[in-house]
This record gives sequence, structure tokens and C-alpha cells, in this order.
Amino acid sequence: MNRRNFVTRGAAGMAGMLLSSPLTGSAAPPPGEAATRSAPPSFDLMKEVMKYRKIDVHAHIYWTDDSPETQLDYGRRLGIEKQVISRYLDVMPGTPEQFRKFNDLTIKAIKKYPGQLLGGFVLNPVYQKESLEEIKRCTDAGMIGPGELYYQVKINDPKYFPIIEKLIDLKMIIHSHAECQLGVGGYRMKYNGYKQPNTSIPEDFVDIARRYPEGIFQYAHIGMGGDWEYECKLFREYPNIYVDTSGSNNAENMIDFAVEHLGEDRLFFASDNSYYQGVGRVLSANLTDRQKQKIFFDNYNNLLKKGGRGVD
Amino acid sequence: MLIDINAYVGHWPFMQLKYNNCTALVERMNKYGVETSVISNLNGIFYKNTQSANRELYEELKALGTQRKRFIPFAVINPTYAGWQYDLEECVKKFGMKGVRVYPKYHDYEITDPALIELVKRTRDMNLPVAFNYKMVDSRQRSWMDIDYVAYTPKPEWTLKNIFPIIKAVPDAKYMILNVTNSMQLDAADAALFKKARVLMDTSGRTINDLGSLLKTQGTERFAFGTHAPILDYLTGMLRIESLRAEEADARVKELLRSGNATHFLGL
Amino acid sequence: MLIDSNAYIGHWPFLRLTHNTPETLLGRMKEFGTDASVISNLNGIFYKNTQHANEELWEAIRSKKIYTDRFIPFAVINPVYGGWRDDLEQCTTRMGMKGVRLYPQYHGYEIATPSCVELVKRCRDKGVPVAFCLRMVDSRTSSWMDLDKEWTLKDIVPIVKAVPDAKYLVVNVANSMALNTEDMDLFRKADLLIDSSGRNITNWVDLFKSFGTGKFCFGTHAPILDYFSGLLRIESLRPTEADEKTKEQLRSGNIKKLLGI
Repeated sequence: MNRRNFVTRGAAGMAGMLLSSPLTGSAAPPPGEAATRSAPPSFDLMKEVMKYRKIDVHAHIYWTDDSPETQLDYGRRLGIEKQVISRYLDVMPGTPEQFRKFNDLTIKAIKKYPGQLLGGFVLNPVYQKESLEEIKRCTDAGMIGPGELYYQVKINDPKYFPIIEKLIDLKMIIHSHAECQLGVGGYRMKYNGYKQPNTSIPEDFVDIARRYPEGIFQYAHIGMGGDWEYECKLFREYPNIYVDTSGSNNAENMIDFAVEHLGEDRLFFASDNSYYQGVGRVLSANLTDRQKQKIFFDNYNNLLKKGGRGVD
Repeated sequence: MLIDINAYVGHWPFMQLKYNNCTALVERMNKYGVETSVISNLNGIFYKNTQSANRELYEELKALGTQRKRFIPFAVINPTYAGWQYDLEECVKKFGMKGVRVYPKYHDYEITDPALIELVKRTRDMNLPVAFNYKMVDSRQRSWMDIDYVAYTPKPEWTLKNIFPIIKAVPDAKYMILNVTNSMQLDAADAALFKKARVLMDTSGRTINDLGSLLKTQGTERFAFGTHAPILDYLTGMLRIESLRAEEADARVKELLRSGNATHFLGL
Repeated sequence: MLIDSNAYIGHWPFLRLTHNTPETLLGRMKEFGTDASVISNLNGIFYKNTQHANEELWEAIRSKKIYTDRFIPFAVINPVYGGWRDDLEQCTTRMGMKGVRLYPQYHGYEIATPSCVELVKRCRDKGVPVAFCLRMVDSRTSSWMDLDKEWTLKDIVPIVKAVPDAKYLVVNVANSMALNTEDMDLFRKADLLIDSSGRNITNWVDLFKSFGTGKFCFGTHAPILDYFSGLLRIESLRPTEADEKTKEQLRSGNIKKLLGI
């Protein structure tokens, strides 16, 4: 093309641009214009809610007088048959005295409501001997495994190894808190003073899951506000990492994305006490009834059964 | 009948969204029995010139045919950007928009900025509501490019206290407060003023977890079904209403929440 | 033949774009006689999970035969985000993408951070180029939410130094191209192209003298920049500045060589 052709082509281009510009200034739709406004068929949401059996695999009880009754009431309202509760160890340093006290609260609750509550214990691997003893004490008291293990020690810290080995022996699901967000370690995430420095991140889960391929790891609350896309993408290749769907953030498409990346067997329904969001995000996912039932109940129960702790 | 007072179309820069155009939203509405949705264009949160977003929404609705009657469009206006007064007029008179959404944090101005006060007074004089929200997305999962109001830091997410000053400045305007996700606490004097104000809050936010109690303290006329879709899932906001027990809300109150309050507030 | 080495589809958060779909971009190409365009998805700059943007691009291109004939897709990869290795593999195999675009400033990492070096080495081993952009938009006109710093050519040096045998494309050279002798020597030896869309591509005589004629190619940076200017810079070259053979190199020869097509 020579310069003259180029200019010619350019002029045509300008004309073309003018012609192809969207016509602006056209009138608004005439007010009152008749348009079809057929009401959609009504949707019986509560019937849908009650259609599925549910185990909420990540819930908590509190020190308040209304606990666990308030949590149980949410469960009844939304058709949640069982809740796996724990009193997470949100204190430092998390001494044996402290974690025993926290677990006592859970034991009291599960004794009172054996039909609705399953107990998860907490511990601190800094105190290895006491933690191993606590596993035995809590198991004897009827707990089904660890509750949400917290930020005292990262899940892949060698201090955890003997604990994890014991939990694997007992065929328990290893459930730990983790975060993946700005402000916490990991991608673009720094421990910036607002978070405990030993908070686990997704990479820590990958590390421990690779070390113990026979372990069953429950990554806590992909709906807690962390970057669930990052989490699910990172866990794709690690079949022994399961995610629980709990948290207060009920992002649209989160469940669909998790199923796409992890498969329908690696998600557990959970609320972390955000009960509406917990149920709503699974129901609104673009999944079959069978897939929803697996997430709400079967996936977790099947793993409980392996340890002889299944729910009938 | 269900009216969703808090839905969107458009693009969220930091994440691929599903169901974020009118056609997909209509399918969602049909599936879950929602007759009408108040919508605005997410692009208006990020475009410097928000009127491009309002025009996009107008064009999308115009192309939708008969189904356009299922939507009540709201404009996004930035009162610190040039030409907003003209934009507002055009949105209301030409595009047929029925309310205004404002984003002080994204558009970077104070809640008591004189320009915002002027905008709210204009919408009041037009008898149109102006809508604020606590947040668009959970700050814990925000992008590093998103605004930095972050929970548990010295610059936290908004609460009702952050929105209240505009209600105090223009107490006779109509306000929508959406995605109520943090504290609703106000001091006694402000709470009294807030109670008198014409306010409609939607059920999409996580703070609306005990709607039964809120109906008692705030009154049954101040809440309406909202999804915050497609950023939040479609059903949680509905679940908060549908799971109310008879002693918390009788059939009449449930109907108010599903559509009655929205119909009255929006003058439908 | 004319190949645009720097075009996009997708959404820019801060401004409504036109000609940002395959169909409208193809319209521009037809208007200006562009035979093929290297394209990537703008959404990948802002999505935390860039792979959604790559899937969108792949699906868009697959939707029509003419798109697969006329578009050369590049993936957007963020080497500090979960699952990027798998994303790269999917993009360069299943999706048939021919190169990778990287955005260290938008994605928040240093250009020679170990995972970026690893990514560039992987691309080198696959024989696909990696592309960097000095800026997407003029920071003076952009949003208060956009980046506040632009790059110069010097900012690209660390990665070229770290992986000198990879293939590079540097686009929208809108700021200083000054390099010291050592770095200029590195660039001259590297398999590296600079597109013609940036405002600093003005004095060709000096540019050819410094970098050589084999280091440049046509690029529009469309639809963010206008479709004309990048082409005008080439077509307005006088015979004393570039003979027809050189112009053909700029129009398509150099980029074809880089892409191995």
C-alpha cells in the first residue's frame, strides 16, 4: 500500500466509522406501551429447602447463654439435620488448659443434644503430648474428629505431624481454618499485623496434603471472604483436600466454580453460622438435585462412615 | 409476587460474573418466581463517565422487547463528575429511570459532599429514591485493584453510621440502603431520626439474619426482597423472608416484604 | 500482508469501549486491510482469575470460522495466582494460544520475580513469545482506581536479562526507550519486537540505528488507541527511511518470524 492508498483507505474508514456509530437520541419506549408482563410461576423455596437432608459440617457454639439453642433453631428453620460444632480456639497462646475448657463446652452441648449436634475438638500442637491426650479424651466423649483447628500453628508445621498421623489412624476428617485474602500470607497477601502470623493459607494445605496423601483434609470456609477462585484452582490436583462451603459471603457462582474445579464429591455443605447464606448458595447453584444432595449430606457422611461415625 | 429491589447487569472488573445481562437475569427471575427487578449497570461504578453505563442499560432494555417491562432501571450518577445534572435529567426523562444509585467510595467523595447533597435534593424533588449500599463485595475477597475499605483494619467497611450523615442532611428524601452487611447501630438521636426517614432496606445483606427481630424494631414497612445478584447468590435474600415463621411475619407482612413495600416505596 | 501484533477484545473497566468484540474488531481490520491480529482479552488484566478471560477469548474465537482464520490469540497469565501452570498448559495446548501476555504492574509482582522467570522459561521452551506493555492507558487520563505509574523500556530489562533466549514482544512503547550500552546490546541480541502503537515510535531513523529494522512490527493497541496511528507510523515512512522490503518486515515479516508462522 502506498501513502495515497493509505489516505484513501483512511478516509473510507472515517466514513465507515460515522456510518457505524450507534444512533443516539432515539426516543425512550413510549410510556404505558402495552408489553407482555406475564407473572412467572411461583417458586416454593421452603419446599426446596426441606427437600435435602443436610449436615452442616462447620458450625460453632458460643459461651453465651443462648448457645447452642440459637444455632439449633436456625437448623430447624432451614432443615439442617446435624451440625458439626466446635468452639474454635480464638485465644493465644492456646494452652492445654484453654483448649480443654473450650472442648468441655462442646462436650456439654453434644451430650445435651446428641441427635442434632456432632462434636469437633480443638487443640494446639505446640503442646503435643497434651494434644494427643485431648484427642483421646474427646473421642471417648463421643466427638467425631477435630473441629476447626485454628491459627496457633500452621497446618503444615512439623509440630502437626504426630497429631495428623494420629487423626489419620482414627480415620478422622482433618478440619482447619485457613485464609486466602489480602492481608494474609500467600498471593499478594501479607501478614500485615491484622492477622495471626501462623494462619494457614492454601499453599500450606497443599503442602500437608502432599505429605499425607492418605489424610482427609477439610479446608475451611471458601465462603468466608477469601479468594475462592484461587483456593479451588490450587486444590484441583489434590484429591484429599475437600472444601467446606461455609462463610458469610454467598458469592454467586462460587459453588458452581468449586464443582467445576474439584468435582462434586469434594464439597461439604457448611454455614460457619451464616445459615441463610450457607443454604442459599447451594440451592441457587446450577447443579442437579443429586449433586446438591451429595454436597448437603452424602459427601461428608460417606467419609464419616469410613471411620464408623456415619449418620443413618 | 416478588420484586427484587437490588439487582445488576454489567461487568465486575475483578471477576467473571454469570447471569449479568437482562436476558440471563430474566431466566433467573422466571426460575425463581420473581416478576420484577430493579436494576442498574455495574459498569457505572467504574466508568469515569457513568452516563455511558446508563446509556448501555437503556439500550439493552430497549433491545429486550416485551420483557423490558420486567425491569425498573436505576441510573448511576457521580455528582462530582462533569455534567451530572444533565445526565440525571436525561436518565429520568429520556431513559425512564426510576431512581439513582450513588457510590461515594468508588467515586471518591465524602457522604456529606455538597454535590451529593445537591443530587439527593434533586432526586427528592423528583420524588425518586437514591440508593446507597454498604459494600459491593466482601472486602476480604476483593481484588488488590479494588477500593481499600477492608474489614478489621483502620479503614473498615461501611456501617449505617457512614451512610447516616446524608439522611441527616436531607431528611425528607427517599433512601434505599442495600446489602446491609455490617452494623446497623446508631446513637439514640440518630436512630430516632433514621426511624422517621423514608428508608427501604433490602434482604440481601448478611446483617439481615434475624429479620424477625428487625421487623419488630424497625417496622414492617422498611424491608423488601433484594438479591444483590449476580454478585451474591439469587436465593439467600429470598430465604430470609420465606423462612420467617408465622409468629415472626404473618402472610400480610410476608407479602409486604416480597413486593408490597417495594411497590409502595417506588410508586409502582 | 498486514498483521496487527497488539489488539484486544473485552472490557476496560474505566471507559466504555467500542470495537471491542471479535466482530467489531474484524470490521476494523477489513476497513484497514489488516489480514490477522494478535489478540488477547482485556478482562484478563483485571480478573483475579485470568483463566476465565482466556476461556472467554477461546470461546469467542471458536464461534466463527473466520475468527479462527484471522485472530492469533494470546493468553493472559498471572504467574503469582493459583493454578497458573495448568492455565498456561491449557492455553497453549487445548486452546491453541500462540503467546502469553503478562501484566506485572496490574497483577502486582516484580518483573523478574521467580515465578515470572519460571513462566518465561516455560514459554521459551514452548517456543511462544511473552508480551509486556509499558502502559495500557495514559495515566493522566485514567481513573483514580487505575495504576499511577507507567513503565519505560528500561523496566523490561530485568526479565530479558534473566531469560535472554526467550521471545519477547514489547507493546505500546509510550515512554522513554533509553537504555545503557549493555542493555541495548542485550535487546539487540534478544529475539524481541517492539510494536508501532506507542507514542515514542516517532524517529525511525534513530530507532533503526539503535535497535535495527528487525526489531519492530505493526501494532494498533486497539481498541484502546485509535486504529490509524500505529499503521500511519509505518506507511508514512519515506523510501529514504525504509525500503519496501523493510516496510514488509514491519507490516508482517518480523512478527511472522517471532510467532513462527
